[in-house]
Amino acid sequence: MWSLAWKNVRRGRGRSLLTGAAVAAVVALMMIMYGFSGAVVNGMFQNMTRSTGHLILRVKNADKIREFERGLIQDAPALQERLARALPGADVEAMLEVPALLAGEKRSRGVLLYGLEPGGRLMKEFVTKKLTAGGPPQDDGDWSAALGRALARALKVKVGDGVYAFVPNTSGIGAAAFTVSGLVALPESTMEARTAVITLAAAQELAAPNAASRIVIFLPGLVSPTQQGRLEQARSKLAPLVPAGFELLTWRQAEPAMAAILDMMTPLLLIYAVIFFVLAGLLVVNTVYLGLVERIREFGVIIALGADRWRIMRLVIIESLLLVLSGAAVGAALGGLAVWRMSHGFSLPGPLARQYAEFGLPVVMYASITPAQVALVFAFALLTALASALWPAWLAGRLEPVEAMRHVA
Amino acid sequence: MNALIEARNLHKVYKTDGVETPALRGANLTVKAGEFTAIAGPSGSGKSTLLHLLGGLDRPTEGEVWLDGERLDDKNAVERARLRLWKVGFVFQAYNLIPVLTALENAAFVLELRGRPSAERRERALAALAELELDGYAERRPNQLSGGQQQRVAVARALAAEPAVIFADEPTANLDSKTGLALIEYMKRLNREKGVTFVFSTHDPRLLEHVRRVVHLEDGRIAGEEVRG
Repeated sequence: MWSLAWKNVRRGRGRSLLTGAAVAAVVALMMIMYGFSGAVVNGMFQNMTRSTGHLILRVKNADKIREFERGLIQDAPALQERLARALPGADVEAMLEVPALLAGEKRSRGVLLYGLEPGGRLMKEFVTKKLTAGGPPQDDGDWSAALGRALARALKVKVGDGVYAFVPNTSGIGAAAFTVSGLVALPESTMEARTAVITLAAAQELAAPNAASRIVIFLPGLVSPTQQGRLEQARSKLAPLVPAGFELLTWRQAEPAMAAILDMMTPLLLIYAVIFFVLAGLLVVNTVYLGLVERIREFGVIIALGADRWRIMRLVIIESLLLVLSGAAVGAALGGLAVWRMSHGFSLPGPLARQYAEFGLPVVMYASITPAQVALVFAFALLTALASALWPAWLAGRLEPVEAMRHVA
Repeated sequence: MNALIEARNLHKVYKTDGVETPALRGANLTVKAGEFTAIAGPSGSGKSTLLHLLGGLDRPTEGEVWLDGERLDDKNAVERARLRLWKVGFVFQAYNLIPVLTALENAAFVLELRGRPSAERRERALAALAELELDGYAERRPNQLSGGQQQRVAVARALAAEPAVIFADEPTANLDSKTGLALIEYMKRLNREKGVTFVFSTHDPRLLEHVRRVVHLEDGRIAGEEVRG
């Protein structure tokens, strides 16, 4: 039956080729779209988690606490060390965010001072990679600070000038002078106008000795939001170490808006898949139906020779399956090749890349597709083949042998 | 000998756009296993209709059809298809081979429908083709064969499945008289040597001289029967 079906598919060569090519195009397109979406999602995930970390330890509901002192992790280094010991290979960094008044010679602004570990991943992400002038903050002798460009403009200061930070009513020294070590360009201009980065030690001495507002954990090899299992595994490993009154958040909980954007990709692609496969399905229906109409006499003979209606329906469905799946195989090969090439890195055209960088999209992206996504594309193709064959198969199954053999096409 | 086929008071009326056309008007017929029977009659006498009813391709409006001890006329389409598959062979006027299959594949087709293993299918189909002297044509497609050869492949297709009976509806109508006569001789030899039961229809009186039992059909009724010694 399979052999006969295959010969029948090849019989209407031009029509079968056209339909197979349409299915191949849809499958290839879907694979490229999945590869592209993998690149976007992974790129955004990596971009985001480079600044948020994969797991974050903080005081419970810290974002809702108004008083500075109540939102702090006291004795942060000890806790940081315990967490690092529990997760070998992970980077565990503390950061201290201090609301402050920063003043230049003539102007002052309310800012958020970020105290980061020199040489740490957060410092690299927030400062080193974004420097437009000068260098990162230091605490060897004189304290220095890297300022957002917009903030420096507002304060009318430049690299090498002095600024003064005031943090009243804290357990630290409360006020200190900093030299502007460098200027950083941040993706959002509002953030750039209120950000200054100093070293963790300087922030702690200024406002909260030995404390941190959060401890950020970077897990090794976590490059995609689909690796949820690894994240949960690390989280449960750390859970017993979390003191009462604290919470250990995943990046999803810390950045729910971004998580929602990334999660939207899956249903969005499913909608595209449905649209594309329905269009391809219409072509398949047309091909299978015309194949049936042209061979009504032949179907009549096959029924006369003893094939029952189920077998006839099976023959029509098998023809549709062969047509679609062979097209899908070609499409998967072409799509796979394209995704493989894109997996070595690709960029959007210049202006687009710059525009999308604002939303956290990396300039160079790396396509990736999971076996489950490939399986999903094939499942769609399979479903298309079956759905497209149903009506012609039903018609074929209802043929009466005598009438069918008298049919004139 | 018990009857292999029995038709009792068969009526068949076709309805087209509300107009009723009677094709059979109470035909009775009995065929025993191993017989070689011709149904003769002019065009429109109901020969094809009778063969279709006897072979389970269609259901009578009235009357009963029995084949190898099973009643056919009260069976549904699926049951009749199963009965045709296992007990009936057909040879049609227009050969009706499947054009994308080779002669061998066509001859093996019914066996494939029966789900027989491919080695057995091949062996039996080759043997059937050999019986019809088509040994050298196994790999040819129908469009590479003459009309007579195609009809012999159709006979081989029926023969390979070893059915209880082979119905041939005007098998020589599309052949020249010499080729048609040759085909009848092949069928006679299979009947004689292998005991295959044949029931075939024809309106060609020249062929009837070569047949032992001839049933004459006129206006949907059995008009008479000749049995030659």
